[in-house]
Amino acid sequence: MDIKYYPGCTVKTSARNYEASAIAALRYLGVELSELEQWNCCGVVHTLSTDDLMKQLAPIRVLKHVEQCEEREEVVTLCDMCYNTLSQANRLVKDDPAKLKTVNTFMECDDSHGGYTGTVRVVHLLQVLRDTIGFQAIKKKVKYPLRGMKVFPYYGCMLLRPGEVGIDTPEDPTIIGDLMRALGAEVIDDPVKIECCGSHHTVGDRSIVFERIERIIGRARSKGAEAVVLSCPLCRFNLDTRQQEDRTIELPLPVFYYTQLMGVAFGLDEAVLGLNEHRIDPRPLLREIGYQKKGEYGRITT
Amino acid sequence: MKMIRGYPDYMRESIERVERTRAERLKTPYPPMSLAEREVLLHRFHPDFREEQKRPIAFGPSRGLKVNHELANVIESHPLVPSTLNLSQVDYQVDVLIIGGGGAGTVAAIWAVQEGIHPEKVLIATKLRHGDSNSTMAQGGIQAADRENDSPLIHYLDAMGGGHFTNKPELVQALVSDAPRIIKWHESLGVMYDKDEAGNFVENPGGGTSRKRLHSAKDYTGLEIMRVVRDESRNLSVPVIEFAPAVELLMDERGQVAGAVLLNLETKEYVVVRAKATILATGGFGRLHMQGFPTTNHYGATGDGLVLAYHVGAELVDLDSVQYHPTGAAFPPQIAGLLITEKVRGMGATPVNADGELFVYPLEPRDVESSAFIRECYDREKGVITPTGMRGVWLDAPMIDMIHGEGAIREALPAMWRMYERFGIDMTRDPILVFPTLHYQNGGIAIDVDGATTVPGLFVGGEASGGVHGKNRLMGNSLLDFNVFGMRAGISAARYARQVEVGHLSLAHVDRYEELLKDAGIVTDRTSPVLLPEYRGKEALERQLDVLI
Amino acid sequence: MTIHVHEQVHRPRVSDQGFDARTPKVRIYLMGKEYQVPNVLTIMAAIEYAGYRLVRGCGCRAGFCGACSTIYRKTDDYKLYSALACQTLVEEGMYLVQIPFVPAVKSLYDMEEITLTDNVILRYYPEIARCVSCNTCTRSCPQGIRVMDYIQASLRGNIARAAHLSFDCIQCGLCSSRCPADIKHYHVGQLVRRVYETRIAPKSPHLARRIEELDSGVYDEEMNRLMTSSLSELKQRYESRKIEPVSED
Repeated sequence: MDIKYYPGCTVKTSARNYEASAIAALRYLGVELSELEQWNCCGVVHTLSTDDLMKQLAPIRVLKHVEQCEEREEVVTLCDMCYNTLSQANRLVKDDPAKLKTVNTFMECDDSHGGYTGTVRVVHLLQVLRDTIGFQAIKKKVKYPLRGMKVFPYYGCMLLRPGEVGIDTPEDPTIIGDLMRALGAEVIDDPVKIECCGSHHTVGDRSIVFERIERIIGRARSKGAEAVVLSCPLCRFNLDTRQQEDRTIELPLPVFYYTQLMGVAFGLDEAVLGLNEHRIDPRPLLREIGYQKKGEYGRITT
Repeated sequence: MKMIRGYPDYMRESIERVERTRAERLKTPYPPMSLAEREVLLHRFHPDFREEQKRPIAFGPSRGLKVNHELANVIESHPLVPSTLNLSQVDYQVDVLIIGGGGAGTVAAIWAVQEGIHPEKVLIATKLRHGDSNSTMAQGGIQAADRENDSPLIHYLDAMGGGHFTNKPELVQALVSDAPRIIKWHESLGVMYDKDEAGNFVENPGGGTSRKRLHSAKDYTGLEIMRVVRDESRNLSVPVIEFAPAVELLMDERGQVAGAVLLNLETKEYVVVRAKATILATGGFGRLHMQGFPTTNHYGATGDGLVLAYHVGAELVDLDSVQYHPTGAAFPPQIAGLLITEKVRGMGATPVNADGELFVYPLEPRDVESSAFIRECYDREKGVITPTGMRGVWLDAPMIDMIHGEGAIREALPAMWRMYERFGIDMTRDPILVFPTLHYQNGGIAIDVDGATTVPGLFVGGEASGGVHGKNRLMGNSLLDFNVFGMRAGISAARYARQVEVGHLSLAHVDRYEELLKDAGIVTDRTSPVLLPEYRGKEALERQLDVLI
Repeated sequence: MTIHVHEQVHRPRVSDQGFDARTPKVRIYLMGKEYQVPNVLTIMAAIEYAGYRLVRGCGCRAGFCGACSTIYRKTDDYKLYSALACQTLVEEGMYLVQIPFVPAVKSLYDMEEITLTDNVILRYYPEIARCVSCNTCTRSCPQGIRVMDYIQASLRGNIARAAHLSFDCIQCGLCSSRCPADIKHYHVGQLVRRVYETRIAPKSPHLARRIEELDSGVYDEEMNRLMTSSLSELKQRYESRKIEPVSED
């Protein structure tokens, strides 16, 4: 299977390990993730600001490339922000032909390709795993179940809200948890999983982020979690980098992308999964469950 | 007139004949000429040998040198400024003044700074914008013998033979020995030469080179080098005055060159620059249109440096020869005379006549190749005549993709492709029509290996200088020239500036020049340097009133 | 003090660009003023035909220097077009103005001190983060370069892609004159290419070896012999050179 994916700028820079592990994990599953030939910033910066059509140019241009240049009906994103931005822009113009026409009028003179007609589905990689490949199929491919590993799936905002573009039940999502169970891990659940990580306040006012992560990490740890698993690079930054900077958190929790834990369960190499690029080193925990040792992983739990 | 893919239908018939011989030409090469055969061809057909088009310079250190009337005219002209010009207000006081902001001037500036002159004590003055130059327009490549089957010795032989053994040996030795070091310097600055994945340069042959030695950056080689050295010079904060050509050099009472008078082209004010050392990097003279030829040169290439240097008594050499590039565009008329890089032939395209016949080895030195084209068009009458009456021979561009694979033209010759595409011709499918065009000033102001002239304080680099290429320059040796001798002139000017004392600024040499004119019996109202060519419409000029506003 | 600059006529044989009195004319407007010019001329030749002496707005006259940036509109067409005056034919009803200079501040940098990081270009040109992907730069590029794509690639640290995409840039500045985010695209492209070549492109192995040979004087003796040999000896050596064939790699 060949899947075209839209990486987004973050995945190409500070979340490279997310991309690398996704590619590796999906390749293991027989899926080739191939990057769009031509793409630009998903436009998140502008969709977060004021409301005018200019900010839709970037995401619609990406969708136009998918539809008109790559001739695909579906594009897969890795980053939650990109997913949200592309999806919302897509919805906006699909629901409003006048807006679509306005954006197209601007873009059509770019090159010989036609304008966007609104046929593309924007899909998050998690949806591919759940709906296309299936967690049961993934479970069968697991070589080393993450037996005895207690993980806290964290969803944040962009995967779920607004509900129209959310990939799971906004109030009680289970998609990452279900995937973790398929990998053999023990899932820790808490309502804090859908709360905001502080998002872009990380630039302007870190204290907001500290307050958020203290709550999130505190709740997870109190329920026995040993690690956080998530899908959004900005959440990763706040929960990993900022957590490490937060002096009030005495026992930090390592933070994984779900694709990294897939790789661990598939027995993929540490370097490919970028496990050395975390601020809070997850490798001691992984060694505890026997990662990259001969034989089965797993820890005797009582 | 019916046009089919950019060509009138009658030219299409000739193109079909070209297509019919293509397969055979790909297989069977045409043999190069012997030195003796070259001589015969040149004497019969090269424009340098049209006696009626030339006359000896009447006075001065190069008296008797037979040059084209167009050049003799600007030498035998009155200087633009009188000796009485008020020089009391010095606008700039610098160590090194560089006249000309093309390749040679910019390289000289960088090396003068490297040599220890503070950037604020260097000044580049240039006629148009910084970088508007023939350097920027050079397409094909730069020579440097760095491959294993090559050596500076072979490069030396190629250059000497191409120049009919009239080059100054010590200058050629400097040129070929510095060449690999220049490429290394460029690599360290970030010039993006074409390379393979292992870092080996992609090197092509050129006319008269016996090895593949041309380093290119697609067909934007000169542009790429120019924009990188300009960027570097800007990073060093070297001051530049644009639209300010030099109209006269300044001297002091000891006979040293001591700066220049510049002209602000917009306000027409003059500007006095006092300098310890002065470098002429004014480029060539294509816009004088020798013998009425069209030219590949940029708008400001009017040979000003030759005139300025002659005013202060410097010697001019080898200007009896002019380089006509064999492949100037001959069709469509809007691009007539513009350069079709020699890389097109270097990559395998052959010249063919109206009947599709290959008639010359495609990579003879330029003067020989040009002469063969002229013979084909005007002696053997086998050229193609365009709707506007120009003649030309075909250059069979589609062969390149056949030799190197589809897409080779678009990849390696984007500028050429783009130029023809703008006028409706697709050179990956059809041949292009070419005829020799005025390209390069082979000779120039005599220099030594340090870029120094016989006049103290005056240095020269690049196309303005003479002796390096003798009577005919090889492809890829001009980009090399401006780097090697721009560097050498920059370094020697910096060293000279550190130990020289400059006296009172003077324009006394202008009076001496007027004396020479008078003694030679020249009566004229011509003035020079001419600064810019005249292209205004005849109709508009005829009705212009000379009103001061 | 008045200096009389005598203007000499240096008319090339083909300067008339192949037109005569019978050539049909088109109406063009130079900064709003109407002129009738032969329809076979480039914009640059038409401006000169109309009687203008170009000082600014004219450089190489061959599409390489970027001095003759021109913008125009056509009658009954809402778009603003851009072109190089020397490479574009006149059309009926063109309203033209040249933009011979685009102010664009360049960052100063020492190439040796640049380190290759994801945000290396952002450090020198932070405004690239303001790109709204409007693509106006690409649309205004007379070279047909995907300008926005190289700015976007620079933004995400893909230096190689940005370097290659921007390579054909002639630095005319039309992109920067129209950018709503005030990006200096062509300066960004310049930095990106220099960073690519100095930090990413592999270095030539032959070159270093040849320079070592030169430095150690391997060629000195033979070069001296060549330089002092007689003309006939030199000719003989020249004629006996082996010519490397074109197609042999």
